[in-house]
Amino acid sequence: MNVREGVASSRRLRMRRGAAVGVSVGLVAVPLVVAVLGPFLPYDARPGLPYSSEGVLGTDGLGRDVLGLLLVGGRSALGMAIGAVVLAYVVGGLIGLTAASTRHRWLDEGMMRPLDVLLPLPSLLVISVVAVGWRASALAITVAVAMVNVPTVARLVRAAALDAASGPVVEALRMQRESWLTIQLGYVGRSVLGPVAADLGTRITLAVFLVASVNFLGLGLSPTAPDWAVSVSRNREGLLLQPWSVLAPALLLVSFTLGFNLLADRLVHRSRRLVESAR
Amino acid sequence: MRSYAAQRAGLAIVQLAVLSVLVFVLTSLLPGDAADLRFTETLTPSQVAALRAELGLDQPPVERFVHWLGNVVTGDLGTSLISGGPVADIVRNSIGATLVLTLATLAIVVPLAVALGIVMGTRENGRVDRTITSITLALSAIPDFVIAVVLVAVFSLKLGWLPATWIGGNLLSSPALLILPIAVLFGRTVCLLSRQVRAGTVAALNAEYVTQARRLGVPRRQLLLRHVLPNAAVPGVQELARTGDTLLGGVLVVEAIFAIPGFATALVDGVETRDIPTVQGLTLVLAIAALLINLAADLVCNRLVPRTEALR
Repeated sequence: MNVREGVASSRRLRMRRGAAVGVSVGLVAVPLVVAVLGPFLPYDARPGLPYSSEGVLGTDGLGRDVLGLLLVGGRSALGMAIGAVVLAYVVGGLIGLTAASTRHRWLDEGMMRPLDVLLPLPSLLVISVVAVGWRASALAITVAVAMVNVPTVARLVRAAALDAASGPVVEALRMQRESWLTIQLGYVGRSVLGPVAADLGTRITLAVFLVASVNFLGLGLSPTAPDWAVSVSRNREGLLLQPWSVLAPALLLVSFTLGFNLLADRLVHRSRRLVESAR
Repeated sequence: MRSYAAQRAGLAIVQLAVLSVLVFVLTSLLPGDAADLRFTETLTPSQVAALRAELGLDQPPVERFVHWLGNVVTGDLGTSLISGGPVADIVRNSIGATLVLTLATLAIVVPLAVALGIVMGTRENGRVDRTITSITLALSAIPDFVIAVVLVAVFSLKLGWLPATWIGGNLLSSPALLILPIAVLFGRTVCLLSRQVRAGTVAALNAEYVTQARRLGVPRRQLLLRHVLPNAAVPGVQELARTGDTLLGGVLVVEAIFAIPGFATALVDGVETRDIPTVQGLTLVLAIAALLINLAADLVCNRLVPRTEALR
């Protein structure tokens, strides 16, 4: 391949990458916008007969307007998952960073070993028990999903931080007598962001799945809640009568997770390239 | 090697001890017990109290834990508060369907995922690789229950080819019962696993010892099977242990949708009726299974690629 061809093909590659990122951002944005702005839209949801084709997307098994449900059902479906991941990162990230940066071996071991023990607990099991125990409180489910994710997040952050902290940059900063806090936040914390961003995409997908599965099983939110996963579960017998009552909430959920998966995949590639070029 | 195995087994024993406490604490935290859930409408408060004493629900938690653990160690998982039969029977009756479902899924998933992973890894960024990667990426973003709902609608309700539930069915006389549940479980696991095998293959192919082996003229087939595959398998085996978790979540959903009388169904029933001994027994069995899978995965990885340093 000569130079000109190389430049042309790398430009094409970049354009294709740009398009892929655009598509993934779009896939994430649509359900997110529906979830955030939906409840504020002045949509007049009129009840009708079960599984009729009245309204834009018809009605569900209880005769409620499907579009009206969609607009208010995203908040719980996505909100609980995003909240759980944020919480998992706050707790797990702190543990991981502290364990990686401490000079006391006992502190590192004391924080990480108990998490190793928690790893094999089946996650959906923990969440189901908590969801039923606290009478389907959204907060309890969110906290349970977060707790299930803490061990893996802490491990990931610790490994990434150790990787950064053992490099020559930190050595140089230390020789310049930069303070411990400046080094940790300014350099180590920032270099952890790459792997974290890549992990975030798959973790949010998993959290959406967990929350949705608990709700789908009927162990989470009330069976009449407008939540997207609950809608899929409740209307599944009516899929052939009024397909949109199942497909519309399912598509919004899938669009969100698919978009995040694609973004994560991009980020994994990029952070790997960054690592390789830095070598 | 031996010391790694011993150390890892030691960790597993500690894990087991902590897990048994956790299982007990978590299930004891469930607000409301079987006594007030079942009988509040028909019994007076004093009768409820008597019942609670009979079931041992009025004792302090620590005492109940010691009592429970003592029984568990001797193989007695306790008595169900709802059916009155031993919990061990519930475990025995429900584990069959779940095991068949899980093992059949794994028997299909593992060879396929390894094959796909190697095909992708050896053609890194080629057209075949990109196509399979996109498909697996897209498939792994669809929740199990969405796949299940759509498959049931199309193949059972619309076309009538496959049974939609296990109610009234018998696995031995109609193995077709397994097709839809396995199809649901299969999608995500194959995607997650094959991507890890792909990553492992790519990393191994780029390693210096493979370049050196190539230089020495090792035939391609031998190179792949003897040098690349064992190293490529490590992330795959670790992912397989984690897949156990995904698979279990999937099994819960699949059993609920297809009304399969398995482990997950028994568990969900137990949680809903506050049948604490049953929930504890089932959870403990599951946690031990997960623990053993993790232990096995770590030992296999260590055998495939022995590392000089032991744990961490």
